[in-house]
Amino acid sequence: MSIAERTRPDAGKAAAVTTAPFVPPAPAARRRRGVNREGLEAGKRSTRTLLWILLAAAMVLYGFPFLYLLFTSFKTPIDTIAVPPTILPKEWTLENYANALGRSGVLASFINSAQTAVISTVLSLVLAVPAAYGITRYKTPSGRVFIMAALVTRMVPPVAIGIPLATMMSSVGLADTPIALSIAHTTISLPLSIWLMSSFFEAVPRDLEEAATVDGCSRLGALWRVVIPVVSGGIAVTAIFAFLASWNEFLFALLMTAIRSQTTPVVIANFQTQFGLDWGSMTALAAVYSIPVILLTLLLQRKIVAGMTLGAVKG
Amino acid sequence: MSTRKTIKSFAAIGGICTAVALVATGCGAGGPSSTGSAASSTVNVLVEAGGHAELSGVAEQCKKDAGVTVNFVELPYDGMFNRLSSEFSSGNVSFDVAALDSVWLPSFKDAVQPIDELFTDEAKKDIFPALVKEASVDGHFIGMPAWTNAEIILYRKDLFEDAKNKADFKAKYGYELAAPTTWKQYQDISAFFTKDGMYGTDVKGAVETEWLAHVLQAGSPMVLDADGKVVVDNAAHKEALDFYVSLGKSAPSGAAQVDWAAAQNLFNQGKTAMTRFWAHAYRQIPKDSPVAGKVGAAAMIGGSAGVAGVPGPWYLSVPKATKNTEAAKKFVKCAYDHNSMGIESNLGLAARISAFEKYQDKPGYESFKPLIETLNGKATATRPATAKWQQIVDTVLVPTLQKAVAGGDTAALLADAKKQIEDLLK
Repeated sequence: MSIAERTRPDAGKAAAVTTAPFVPPAPAARRRRGVNREGLEAGKRSTRTLLWILLAAAMVLYGFPFLYLLFTSFKTPIDTIAVPPTILPKEWTLENYANALGRSGVLASFINSAQTAVISTVLSLVLAVPAAYGITRYKTPSGRVFIMAALVTRMVPPVAIGIPLATMMSSVGLADTPIALSIAHTTISLPLSIWLMSSFFEAVPRDLEEAATVDGCSRLGALWRVVIPVVSGGIAVTAIFAFLASWNEFLFALLMTAIRSQTTPVVIANFQTQFGLDWGSMTALAAVYSIPVILLTLLLQRKIVAGMTLGAVKG
Repeated sequence: MSTRKTIKSFAAIGGICTAVALVATGCGAGGPSSTGSAASSTVNVLVEAGGHAELSGVAEQCKKDAGVTVNFVELPYDGMFNRLSSEFSSGNVSFDVAALDSVWLPSFKDAVQPIDELFTDEAKKDIFPALVKEASVDGHFIGMPAWTNAEIILYRKDLFEDAKNKADFKAKYGYELAAPTTWKQYQDISAFFTKDGMYGTDVKGAVETEWLAHVLQAGSPMVLDADGKVVVDNAAHKEALDFYVSLGKSAPSGAAQVDWAAAQNLFNQGKTAMTRFWAHAYRQIPKDSPVAGKVGAAAMIGGSAGVAGVPGPWYLSVPKATKNTEAAKKFVKCAYDHNSMGIESNLGLAARISAFEKYQDKPGYESFKPLIETLNGKATATRPATAKWQQIVDTVLVPTLQKAVAGGDTAALLADAKKQIEDLLK
């Protein structure tokens, strides 16, 4: 068998049927095929370029407000109110950071924000993980009603529950404490946490738990030793969302905190007064306040990506 | 394994943080308790963030004089009304003294205590008449003025003193270029400086106070008369609105969206030659502003009824629900006694006439004489005492003004505004 014949995919079969030699494509046809392949690759390249441009545009769209905030925090007072506004500072200064961080109560507000966000995140996870597990594994009608009902608190405008919550916390002696604010924040993050965790638990094959049970694990043991490690990425995602919901929350903090538990979003808002707006200090404090969240997100980046794709590999 | 380790690490960190947080949560990181459980010599003062500095010096003095320690609860202006409403309605307040914007007094009159004993004859003589009147609701004084403000005229002294400008202006209008004392002069000067990318003045469509000052100058009560009847469509309101809109040709475009912040920015950037603005702005011009050191101040201009401005005072009130009335009233008295200390703060305002007078001749306080003149103006009056005032402003007056500066029919707009306000007040 000639090389030409051997290179044909159906070479053996063809040889049995006919002895006609394989005729390679004419140079013109080869050129056409080459042109087609090149055209295809060029098409792919242009699609990729277009996608990159769109991605870059989306990134600029989402990232620009933050970048603008960041640049503004380095501007001189007169630069911050320039008409028309400028993007980059004409003169870079750290004066706004000194003003913002030197303001009384800023450090305390950071501690309060961290305390509140941590308590709220832990509360959300402690409540959401077993709730979501029960709903997804037992699939009872009441579970379905519960998961829908959990969303109800998200359907009510926060201000409508903020004032009653503040009154309730005050009547049980928890006024102006981080725990009161954490509980309030948990009402925001819990529904989302339950829904998120439910989708992550749904993605875990029941076979895994059954195998653990066969190996002698109890149901709780299987949850703790097998299922939770599998959904750890999902837990990280949920924790981030719960943390962010509390870290950046403003309205409940405004209504429920005073001297002992005021969080940083309220302090940031205090730079806008009836008598003027201190853009520089406001943006400087906002920039500093975003650092812990950025660091946390970077630290948990791999877990978050793993969590995001968990639902995509449903077994 | 690593996943399990991560989970354990998370659990451990979370547990430790929660434990620490729960232990610490009893006091938080901000300071002592904000819920006055029993009478003490410590008072919690709720104050808008911008006004905090006004009372800081007083607080220190009050500790020395009366042994009253003060904790400030600072809140942004936009959230303060909600917070006050929430706490007053619950009957359980986290503060012993509240600094209230004058427009809130009618809303909270039933939640705060009378402080008539602090309004001695001597005190009443030393407080601007419009403020004494406003502090009294249903026959009782319910708030002690802590600081007040009013709009005055700020103008570019350097441009007004420029020889070429002076000559050109005189040649064109036939009189000397100087700080305006009539609205005709204000119009002429605005038109004169509107050239080469600069504007003579601004027109603020997003705030109602200036238009209402013109209404007072034209001799009418603003929006509601003494009997609570809606008069927003009377001749004075229309005349004032027409004049207000007419300044648009000497002002930057987009007047409907121009608010205090925008107008202040325009002036501080050197884009406008004059502005009608709250007096405190004179001392808040940034040092690196192109107009720093080049600004003059003049009293608000009068109309047929005389000089008039709309004061912007804040009052210190003591809630009925506080368990610390004695110390709270001591603080309010301290704030009155040492009222001039507020002038040394960033905001640089006071409420007592004697406090302003003490500083009026000092360099850097050139805005005080015009401010005193405006606050003592024959037609100066505070806003109508109705709990619905803020709602009237937000839902009727500002939208009406915005439509007017955008070219709307002022008569039709005012007629419509009257109907809307009447509906709100029903």
